[in-house]
Amino acid sequence: MRIYEVFLKRKGKQEFRHAGSLEAADDELALVLARESYVRRAEGDSIWLVDRDHLVVGDEEFVAPNADKPHRHNDGGRVAERRQRIHEENS
Amino acid sequence: MDDFEAFLDDGGIVEADDDMPDAYREAVFRFIELHANSELMGGLTEREWIPRTPGLRHKMAVLAKTQDEIGHGHLLYMVAADLGCKTRPDMLEDLFAGNSRFHNVFHYRAKTWGDQVAIAFLVDAAALATQQAVFKNCSYGPYKRILRRIIAEEGFHMRFGEERMLRIAEGTDIQRAMFQQSIDDWWWPALQLFGPDSKPDDKLLRWHIKSERNEVLRDRWVQKFVPLLHGYGFTIPDPGLAFDQEADRWMVGSIDWEPLKRTLRQGGPDSARRISEAAANWADTRWVRDALERVSRRREAA
Repeated sequence: MRIYEVFLKRKGKQEFRHAGSLEAADDELALVLARESYVRRAEGDSIWLVDRDHLVVGDEEFVAPNADKPHRHNDGGRVAERRQRIHEENS
Repeated sequence: MDDFEAFLDDGGIVEADDDMPDAYREAVFRFIELHANSELMGGLTEREWIPRTPGLRHKMAVLAKTQDEIGHGHLLYMVAADLGCKTRPDMLEDLFAGNSRFHNVFHYRAKTWGDQVAIAFLVDAAALATQQAVFKNCSYGPYKRILRRIIAEEGFHMRFGEERMLRIAEGTDIQRAMFQQSIDDWWWPALQLFGPDSKPDDKLLRWHIKSERNEVLRDRWVQKFVPLLHGYGFTIPDPGLAFDQEADRWMVGSIDWEPLKRTLRQGGPDSARRISEAAANWADTRWVRDALERVSRRREAA
């Protein structure tokens, strides 16, 4: 048996969003189970199923270095400071 | 644990793969397992009523409700299994062996259609109130997301329950007498579903799994249903029930928790039959699981 992650999308709305998971014998049966478990009342118009074993996962440790890259951001503070100074000099 | 509790107090959400204290993992698991078991046991009971439900529209709705309940059980067992405390087959085997808990209300027998209506109205409302209180501020992400779906569907069930209740309330004397008997039988089990007053050190509250105390939820349910049932001319089987003018609230009499405790030990009036029927159903459907296993193995080999 395989575990599948279930993603649903509503037509014309939203992107595919994770809804939950299920266990099934194969892709075909997984689709039927996904429809009957997650889309009984039109919660989505299409389904993606991803075999959990096929997920490629980047964990927190892998992602962490990018949390420390201030040169990729600009909060506009220096510009505001300079504008303020010019404004005061001219007034 | 202090850091973890500070993280939760700050609105932190825990996911299945995150590090978490064992005690938290165990508490969340036990709570979700109880919920999953209750959905499954409820679905099996509901199924008994499909052929006996009056009217095609309501019969089809009961069919849909049965599928909903079994579906909720299915989703919840997936969420519970991902916590790694027990596998899904182990949870089911424990349930059918009578070694696992499910909600008190499923330890009683629904004998008449009136009972079914009282369950759909009083009990489903109580279950929905407890689920909403968990959903509101639940720190365990996978459970919170599945609860959103479950709550939406329980709402349908409760509205059907209310519609059926109104039909009976406006029905014949025989129908009204039947429903009065159902209220007499189901009022206390429904009220006890909320459980005794929450303890001051309740871990489920501390860890933001529950967001409201049992007695608060119970009282809100009482304030809603006492006037509703009185309004339709039914009585409530609580001699201590009284309206407190000053507090502007209905006060219930003293609650005997012994029946609830008996259900926790699988000693309710219908516990043995329910568990053995569920176990028989599990055994009868073994061929489906075996067939799925064969499909699975064939696909793996290919």
